[in-house]
Amino acid sequence: VYLELALNILTTVSILMLIALGLAIVFGLMNILNMAHGELVTIGAFTVSLVQAHGGGFWLGVLAAMAVGAAFGLALERGLIRFLYDRPMGVILATWGVSLIIQQALLLSFGPSPQIVFAPVEGSLDLFGYEYPRYRLILIAATLVTVVATALVMTRTRFGLDLRTVIQNREVAELLGIDTRRVFMIAFAGSSALAALGGALVAPMSKVLPTMGAEYLAPSFFVVIVGGAGSLAGTAAGSAVIGGLRTILDYQVPSTLSQALVLIASIVIVRFRPRGLVPA
Amino acid sequence: MSEPAVPVSALPGSDAGTRSRVAVGVMCLSGLLAYPLLLSPYQMDVARDALIFALLALSLDFLWGKAGMLSFGQAAYFGIGAYAVAIIGPMVPSANAALAGLAVGIGMSILVAGSVGYFLIYGGVRGPYLTVVTLALTLIARNIATAWASVTGGEAGLIGAPSPGISIGGWSVVATDSVSLYLLVALVLAAVLLVVWLLCRGRYGRILVAIQDDEGKARSLGYDTSGHLLLVFVASGAIAALAGGLYTSVAGYVAPDLVGLLLSTQAIVHVALGGRGTLVGPVIASVVAIRLQQEVSSYSYALWPLLLGAFFIAMVFLFPNGLFPLFQRLFDMLFRRHGKGGPHG
Repeated sequence: VYLELALNILTTVSILMLIALGLAIVFGLMNILNMAHGELVTIGAFTVSLVQAHGGGFWLGVLAAMAVGAAFGLALERGLIRFLYDRPMGVILATWGVSLIIQQALLLSFGPSPQIVFAPVEGSLDLFGYEYPRYRLILIAATLVTVVATALVMTRTRFGLDLRTVIQNREVAELLGIDTRRVFMIAFAGSSALAALGGALVAPMSKVLPTMGAEYLAPSFFVVIVGGAGSLAGTAAGSAVIGGLRTILDYQVPSTLSQALVLIASIVIVRFRPRGLVPA
Repeated sequence: MSEPAVPVSALPGSDAGTRSRVAVGVMCLSGLLAYPLLLSPYQMDVARDALIFALLALSLDFLWGKAGMLSFGQAAYFGIGAYAVAIIGPMVPSANAALAGLAVGIGMSILVAGSVGYFLIYGGVRGPYLTVVTLALTLIARNIATAWASVTGGEAGLIGAPSPGISIGGWSVVATDSVSLYLLVALVLAAVLLVVWLLCRGRYGRILVAIQDDEGKARSLGYDTSGHLLLVFVASGAIAALAGGLYTSVAGYVAPDLVGLLLSTQAIVHVALGGRGTLVGPVIASVVAIRLQQEVSSYSYALWPLLLGAFFIAMVFLFPNGLFPLFQRLFDMLFRRHGKGGPHG
């Protein structure tokens, strides 16, 4: 039973981490909140379902979702957000508008019934005498790979160095000759690709609806607020706290109450650690 | 209180231009409030609901326009007020039922806004962070409204909410017909508008302006900035709860559809459209926008959310101060051309 609880916690934490990672980087980097982040999750899930409907495999769909997500993020940054870097409230309102349009457009073109996404593997695996769905284990592994890859990009590449410099001090970064606008653009596209990847990976285990993104928006923002913006460690800590608490509480109390309790816990944490558990 | 004095020259609203603008504002508003009395009872009911949403927009404008805190949480407080009247009201047998529900709703709203606001605002949470937390408030309120079916009636909602009334001693009066309900809502709206406007016009308004301009500076001048922000946060929640309670009481029912991100979004649109911080602007914008929404929805139901989204983007780029200030500037231009003793020349 404890193994099951641990694995369930890991699954929830994985999903949260995938989705919040991009948000945390963008927020730490540019200090803007992208309210359409949830819709990038939705777009990722819909892309997988479309690829599968046309005979493609699940993993091809995941790759396609990342590409579509990145393209979408790029378009959003170039077309809208780059004009608003000095107006954080403007970004909130404009991206909220984008999110409304995407939701309604998906609703109009796909209808209100859930899309179907098949998992690449069926059945469950025998783990020390306990059966656990195989796909969830794959999800956890895929998250691990993604997080390690992101960490490598951030610590081992030239771009990652630039990125961390801009997060720490934008003026100094510009004085050093780093093209901050270019860093913003690439980071935003990357963050969107990560959100779409998250959406693609959760698609087989959740209802793929035009409004599904909204369910992930608030929790992933909480991960960023509780964990601290702009750092991988912060996102991991935030996801562990929010996801862990949520899963454990779900065993004890109704889901609505656990949601409210997690909110209360996050608010109390923010009171005492205003810059997050692991500030960048 | 040893708060520093603000020079009188910073006092807004003392020149002739402002006075005539106030006069025109009052005229427009009373015209707007009186006009539906000439319409059919059904249209009057529609106008009444629009005025309640105007009250909600006003609560947001107080918070966003006057204290700089954008909130997606107004729908949560609206819901607390609305459900309180529907749940508490029927338990009270007298004509005071709606009033009792309203009191409970507003009290709960103050409690929620007060505790959430205390932790956040004194924790130094400002701007976008605060906005996100209020977003979560609305999501949770919606979930409670649908999931806690034994109390809230679930998806179906609750019917049988008491009509607004009052009873003192042996005398009691209950408003049930369209005209008196409409008048009641219009009066409440006008009263709240007046109170908020007077509050923001005087010294308190200038403290809020100073905090919006530069909170650090205002704090170093000796103001308890967090305390002031918390006060506005709580007052705004209370006004939103009043709007919600009023809605349930005059409509007689409440459903979870009402409480949700769409309602908060709608309030933001009304404030942005009317001009953030103008107070009267959002009220007028609410009435106009709801009329427009009916037209568009009767044409195509799916079109409205798309328009709403496009509006958000257009607003950010084209008219960041809202449409109302544009009219205001137009009026000033006309005024200056015709009246020779204008404020500046």
